[in-house]
Amino acid sequence: MIKLLLKRLAQGALVVFVLETITFFLVRMLPGNPFLGERKLPQHVMEQLNALYGLDQSALVQYFNYWKNILTEGDFGPSLVREGLQVSDIIAEAFPVSLWLGVLGMGIAIVVGIPAGMIAARCKNRWPDVLLMFFAMLGICVPAFVIAPVFGKTLGMHVPGLSVAGWDNPLCAVLPSLTLGLINAAYLARLTRGGMLEVLSQDFMRTAKAKGAGTIRQLFIHALRSGLLPAVSYLGPAFAALITGSFVVETCFQVPGMGLHFVNATTDRDYFLIQGLVLCYGILIVGANLIVDLALVALNPRLRTQGAA
Amino acid sequence: MNWKCAIAVLLLGSLLTACKEQKSSAEKFAEDGILLIGNNSEPQSQDPHKATAVADGKIICTLLEGLVRPSPTEDGAVLPGTAERWEHNDTADEWTFHLNPSAKWSDGRPVTANDFAYAYQRLLHPKFAGKYAEMLYPLRNAENFSKGLCNWEEVGVKAVAPHTLRLSLSGPTPHLLRLLLHYTWFPIPAHKVEELGGMLDRRSLWTRPEHWVGNGAYVLAAHRFNDYLSVSPNPQYLRASELKNKGIRFLPIVNGYTETRMYLGGKLHITNNVPPEMLAYAQAERPSDFCRDPYYCTIFYRLNTSRAPLNDSRVRRALHLAIDREALVNKVVRGAGAPSVTFTPPGAGYAVNAPTEPTTQAEREEEARRLLAEAGYAEGKKFPVLELMTTSRDVQRVMAETIQAMWEKVLGIHVDIRSCEWTAYKSAQQNMEYDISSSSWSGDYLDPATFVELWRSGGGNNCTGWGNPEADAALSAARNTGHAEQRQRHLQQAEELMLHELPILPLYHSQRTYLRSSRHIDGWQPRLLDNFPLDAVLVKP
Repeated sequence: MIKLLLKRLAQGALVVFVLETITFFLVRMLPGNPFLGERKLPQHVMEQLNALYGLDQSALVQYFNYWKNILTEGDFGPSLVREGLQVSDIIAEAFPVSLWLGVLGMGIAIVVGIPAGMIAARCKNRWPDVLLMFFAMLGICVPAFVIAPVFGKTLGMHVPGLSVAGWDNPLCAVLPSLTLGLINAAYLARLTRGGMLEVLSQDFMRTAKAKGAGTIRQLFIHALRSGLLPAVSYLGPAFAALITGSFVVETCFQVPGMGLHFVNATTDRDYFLIQGLVLCYGILIVGANLIVDLALVALNPRLRTQGAA
Repeated sequence: MNWKCAIAVLLLGSLLTACKEQKSSAEKFAEDGILLIGNNSEPQSQDPHKATAVADGKIICTLLEGLVRPSPTEDGAVLPGTAERWEHNDTADEWTFHLNPSAKWSDGRPVTANDFAYAYQRLLHPKFAGKYAEMLYPLRNAENFSKGLCNWEEVGVKAVAPHTLRLSLSGPTPHLLRLLLHYTWFPIPAHKVEELGGMLDRRSLWTRPEHWVGNGAYVLAAHRFNDYLSVSPNPQYLRASELKNKGIRFLPIVNGYTETRMYLGGKLHITNNVPPEMLAYAQAERPSDFCRDPYYCTIFYRLNTSRAPLNDSRVRRALHLAIDREALVNKVVRGAGAPSVTFTPPGAGYAVNAPTEPTTQAEREEEARRLLAEAGYAEGKKFPVLELMTTSRDVQRVMAETIQAMWEKVLGIHVDIRSCEWTAYKSAQQNMEYDISSSSWSGDYLDPATFVELWRSGGGNNCTGWGNPEADAALSAARNTGHAEQRQRHLQQAEELMLHELPILPLYHSQRTYLRSSRHIDGWQPRLLDNFPLDAVLVKP
């Protein structure tokens, strides 16, 4: 187990490093620069700005300086567009908001998605299955930028307490997390249904039934553990994606989270901010995948022997 | 089990409190006298020397006050601000401002002429790299100083006494007072900036709420990135007793659809923008709140005159005449503009004569076909496929498609549309890597020069490759005359020459469409530059 953990950690560190390196050079290859504005800057001003932030040096020198600053001083650099703010401050302010929404959204996704998938599998090809899978398909097909405004317009404006958009009271989190949650619930329901169907058709389930296990016992004690495997693999990356925010949901509900930064920092060419965000996202994805791996080992005894071997 | 109970109680509790309080944010904040205003995007900075966006300007104008301030009753008129009076010589190139001795910074220190000189030195300083330094170029030797070619002592700014500031300009500038309304001319608290890193420190934290010192009607109270920025009254402000509200909360809502929904859901008192697709809906929902005001901004297409066949003025005029601007404004922009064949929007007593053109659209199209044939492309034959570059904004794309269809139908030519994200678009435009580029220009100050000066040969924002020595001469003559009427005539002449050769295709003068609560807001007036002084806005419960 320890060996597996260490191996995965080393792989993860390598992935994050490669990801950050590719990002670093790719963003610098994009046309334009962080200082482009509505008005063209005089040449000498542009040169001074580049010199001030070290962007006049070769990309390689910038690259080494970037890692040096992170490793020696923990400095992720300044925002080049919102001057005076540090990348770490921006992420520290936005991440808790996205984390909170992500946790709520994931909670909703699990509470709605997994039971829906189990019921659908249990009632395969009967009306509850058809109905649930219809809604799951709807959740997958209808994009967030349609669901979010519809929720805002219908629930946000008419249900007392709920907020159409904005972030000025605790209940503002309800609609964005519901949007995030239901979209993920749709995926989870389909994955759970698929996983459960495969398990339910296996011999040991028939044995369990023959031994007189009730529906609840069959589903929860015998089938669920293996049936959840596909859903759990999905949950890790999905969770990392959720807690780093969604551009669409944050734009539609005016939520001050991380998702906005991913898109805005790129269109603004805010180099250090993009790199900081990618680093943060990379670490979270690697971390989430690691947890998934461990969870899968816990759920599936066969993996344990493979891991040991 | 305990934490589950705690969460349940918390959720239930907040649900109950929320259900009890039926009041919307707009109502609650109005009761406290606080204005909730949509402000387009997250501000770049509250430092007047780093900011460049309109959204930044709105905030800075509440936090700092220049020598003069805008009149709340008349657009373009100025009232004494930090300066209580001023005088200038006959040629209007030497101005002396006498500061109000009772003007104070929010920490109680007096505002002195040195604070202004310090601010101008900082913005122009070659080591500071002020993006908007050009705004101060009317000052004598300012441009040379910003390029490191002369000393600060040679620049036309002198604090001759603690409360007397003398500005020497590079030419007669009768419209100087209007320039001074722009935030690049505001003072900054020299003592505070020095305390927190000094003049040239671009990473200085003096604009953070915990350090903020200003001389405007408000002080910076709180700022949460992408959430809100709030300002509260400055008790040290010169006219603190005249403030009409108890604070302002700026919300950086980029998305016009979200903003409009938030307004309708009672989250805002004033919005920044209703997108074209929502105009009819917003108007039907809130007829008494819907506003459509003229805006000092022109939407046009730049033509790259350094490339064939756009180097032929007949081709440019053919493209110009083939566009049905009425249809464009009514169907695509849905009325958020006024069709126009001239560049500078009306305002500041300036109007320009468009070159004589056929009046009906059918005649214009006939003339367009004739010109194109004359240029050697009868019925569009052999005309190369040009590329029309736009940003990825919906309105711009639809507009480009409409014009593409008009040219195809009228002239038989085909253009390809290239839609780029903003920075790539801007980069291509500024480097002239385009054939036709959708563009817009909004004035920095209420004066035609902010538009006409664009077309000086080799000017930084010209980006068309076009230039005309006669027009340049007219622009220089306008700069060198202290006579307001003569100056206008020179500017008109320059613009008429430009319109005659058409390096651009003017499309329409834009209008601001937004929602403003008639129930909660009083005293608001439309402004061409969208710079109504927010301290004069009364917020009613």
